[in-house]
Amino acid sequence: MKVTIKSWTGVATWRWIANDENCGICRMSFESTCPECALPGDDCPLVWGVCSHCFHMHCIVKWLNLQPLNKQCPMCRQSWKFNIH
Amino acid sequence: MLRAIGKRDRDIFEEVWPDKRRIVLKLLRQDTVSQREWQDLFFGVHFVCLWDEKGAAKIYDCLQQDIVEFIVQAQSQVQAQRGEQALLATYIVEWRKFFTQSNYLPLPFRQLEQSPQVKPSSSSSAASASGASTSAAAAASCSGQPGSSSSAVNKASASTSAAAAASSAASTSAAAASTSASTSSAAAAGAASSGSSSSSTSKKNPTEDSPVRKLMLDSWNMHIFHDIKHRLQESAMKIVHAERNGDAYDAQLVVGVRESYVNLSSNAEDKLEIYRENFEMAYLKATAEFYRLKSAEQQQENGVLAYMKYADAKLREEEVRAKRYLEPSSFNILTYTLVKVLIVDHLNSIIAECPALIRDYETERLNLMFRLMDRVLHGVGVEAMMSDLQRHIQSAGLADMLSASEVITQDSEKYVERLLELFNKFSDLVRNAFNDDPRFLTARDIAFKTVVNDTSVFKMELPTSIANRGVKYTAPESKCPELLANYCDMLLRRTPLSKRLTSEQIDARLRDVLLVLKYVNNKDVFMRYHKVHLTRRLILGTSADSEKEEDIVEWLREVGMPADYVNRLARMFQDIKVSEDLNTQFRSSISRHDAINIKILNAGAWARCSERVSVSLPIELEDYIPDVEEFYKKKHSGRKLQWYHHMSNGTITFVNNFGRYDLDVTTFQMAVLFAWNQRQHDKISYENLRLATELPDPELRRTLWSLVAFPKIKKQILLMEPAAINSPKDFAENTMFYINQEFAIVKNGKSQRRGKLNLIGRLQLSTERSQQEDNQSIVQLRILRTQEAIIKIMKVRKRMNNAALQGELIDILKNMFLPSKKMIKEQLEWLIEHKYMRRDDDDINMFIYVA
Repeated sequence: MKVTIKSWTGVATWRWIANDENCGICRMSFESTCPECALPGDDCPLVWGVCSHCFHMHCIVKWLNLQPLNKQCPMCRQSWKFNIH
Repeated sequence: MLRAIGKRDRDIFEEVWPDKRRIVLKLLRQDTVSQREWQDLFFGVHFVCLWDEKGAAKIYDCLQQDIVEFIVQAQSQVQAQRGEQALLATYIVEWRKFFTQSNYLPLPFRQLEQSPQVKPSSSSSAASASGASTSAAAAASCSGQPGSSSSAVNKASASTSAAAAASSAASTSAAAASTSASTSSAAAAGAASSGSSSSSTSKKNPTEDSPVRKLMLDSWNMHIFHDIKHRLQESAMKIVHAERNGDAYDAQLVVGVRESYVNLSSNAEDKLEIYRENFEMAYLKATAEFYRLKSAEQQQENGVLAYMKYADAKLREEEVRAKRYLEPSSFNILTYTLVKVLIVDHLNSIIAECPALIRDYETERLNLMFRLMDRVLHGVGVEAMMSDLQRHIQSAGLADMLSASEVITQDSEKYVERLLELFNKFSDLVRNAFNDDPRFLTARDIAFKTVVNDTSVFKMELPTSIANRGVKYTAPESKCPELLANYCDMLLRRTPLSKRLTSEQIDARLRDVLLVLKYVNNKDVFMRYHKVHLTRRLILGTSADSEKEEDIVEWLREVGMPADYVNRLARMFQDIKVSEDLNTQFRSSISRHDAINIKILNAGAWARCSERVSVSLPIELEDYIPDVEEFYKKKHSGRKLQWYHHMSNGTITFVNNFGRYDLDVTTFQMAVLFAWNQRQHDKISYENLRLATELPDPELRRTLWSLVAFPKIKKQILLMEPAAINSPKDFAENTMFYINQEFAIVKNGKSQRRGKLNLIGRLQLSTERSQQEDNQSIVQLRILRTQEAIIKIMKVRKRMNNAALQGELIDILKNMFLPSKKMIKEQLEWLIEHKYMRRDDDDINMFIYVA
């Protein structure tokens, strides 16, 4: 007797790799959405700054729009730059 | 005439009138009047009015005398008649003669209208021009006082020229009319043949407002009509009565009497006054009395069902008769009277037949009954029928379900089909018997709701208690939504059923499901099961038609399923498509992974997979996993994968001495079978299998059971020792399992050397523990939805009483579930306790939103 795999369908969900449980701006869990959105996931993505802090994209964009001069990370006050991997 | 001018002091009236009076009498008698005489009369009236101060009044008085005299003669003629028909006939002849003359005689006397002496003696001011006082004056005019309507006076100057023109025209026609002695009857017949519109023809008559005409009619009314109207009515009603009994009579007699009633009225405001107060009343009374007797008799003799037919026929018959004998204004009140006598008085005995008729599906009779009942004011009868229908559908529907309960609780196809059959049957009934009347459709819908949501045939137990915010919640619910979802699954999955049906048939059945779903209270249960089935179909790729899958999502949106739920379903399709692209890319990146498929799901959109089960994968798979993860990390930075092995599955090739088979298995089954790869002939204990696979106890038991006792196959792939174990719970630590070396796929009693077999069955999407959690999650979700909806309402309303709040709440939630009163109350309490809202200090039923 011999058993070999012919094909396999693996099922997985994906999660954010975040350094925190909750978004520092809206305090909502990263696994759920920012307050404006209904569905978590691709529709309400996370973004990272070079300072390594991460937020809901909608939250940080809103925050940055409210800072006319120094666009800083709301957590560490370093100037905010998106970390594009 | 010129002589008269010289004698202005003498009484011109005395001089001129006796001559003219003869012409008047001729006219009254309908004797021949030459054109010259006719014109003389005009001149005479004009002359007297011009030269004699009191001429107008004198003429008027004289005229009145003549008319009364004439009428008295006519009266004696009429009164002399003994027989009813003769009386009517004579009266009608006399009346028509008189009435015709009342159109001509006033013409020469138009000048009297302008004379102040002839006007009513009422001292009313200018305000008397208003209609009310006019009619009052007219009513008082029975005393013989000429009541010239003031509006006529107002118009008089304007109409003088018109009247002059009309008078010459009328004079010729009068002359023509009077050429033959028998003209009167001919003219009357002509007037009668013009039908019931005779009252309207007189409207255009220029003599309409004439005081002389009024004088004539009032005199007739006072001297003849008053005395014999009872005899007239009685006679007319006797004729109608005889006609109702089937004897033929001259209908024209009744019509003629009616016309005299109508035309007699000199009241300009209400032309039908005399008619209504006498003729109509008598007619209604006679009708009611006739049918009061008849209906009781009919019902006793022939029974209620035949009586309904009788009543219906009589109602129609009387409508036709009314068109002949009554003015259109009386139709409504007559119908009302008839309905009262024929239907309302027998309402209870008729309604009592309704349940039996519904039971026997007697659409024709029901339709008849409905038509009768629909005539009854305030819908009393219809309401009774509606509740009968509702009761019947409920009890018959439930009885039908109960009688078939053994089959339908197991077989969702049979259940849905039976349900639809039931619905169609009753919908047909409503259409055929009640013409799809909206009131009956509502009754049907209410009854359907009861049947669908009934819990006596089968129920789904929702958790009896939940430790959620201290809430205890018990509710057995109908299993209907679950069965509906199952049926949907059978149609959408590749099954014998979906293969048998054409695409159109499947569409039609899916529509049917949505139709039933409309009546389901707890649609959230359907949504959950539908989603679970969809998940299974998408993961295993067993959809029969992926287009249809997406169609039904849109249909669900159309029937009002909550948007976030539908969006999630749509999201699932999107994930599957994205995963397909991902697979293509993955395979082209690393050549050796042709056999690997990945399905990366959006955690929020898919069915809740709360619990991840650890399993030790076969070595080959373990090797693939890091490659996939690495690949995904490159595609999407900042994301990591979480494997859900209880959903993943695959195909293995199983080779033994007998043959070579492709088996579709779950990953768990795969893990178990791989335990034998190194030691094919060993017997492995349950305990060791657990160590090898690292599966949690319940999952291992379930997986093993699916390998030793998969339903409907002759030879199982695993065997066990001892062999007499009846349930997965009975596996002991030392139960031994071993590969069935004789395993083969058996077809038509023959073992096959090659073949394909699906051992997945119903893919377990959740572990045993999370299944309980799932039921709880339904309840929990309901609690949250209720709270959310209450807050949503209160935020807008600020203040609201309990009843209104419950109403709105049910409206918001009805597309998901029907919140129980108890739950609403509990959630209100919870929200008050947590200071989201408070009760009004003065009114315990008033809630106030606390920001």
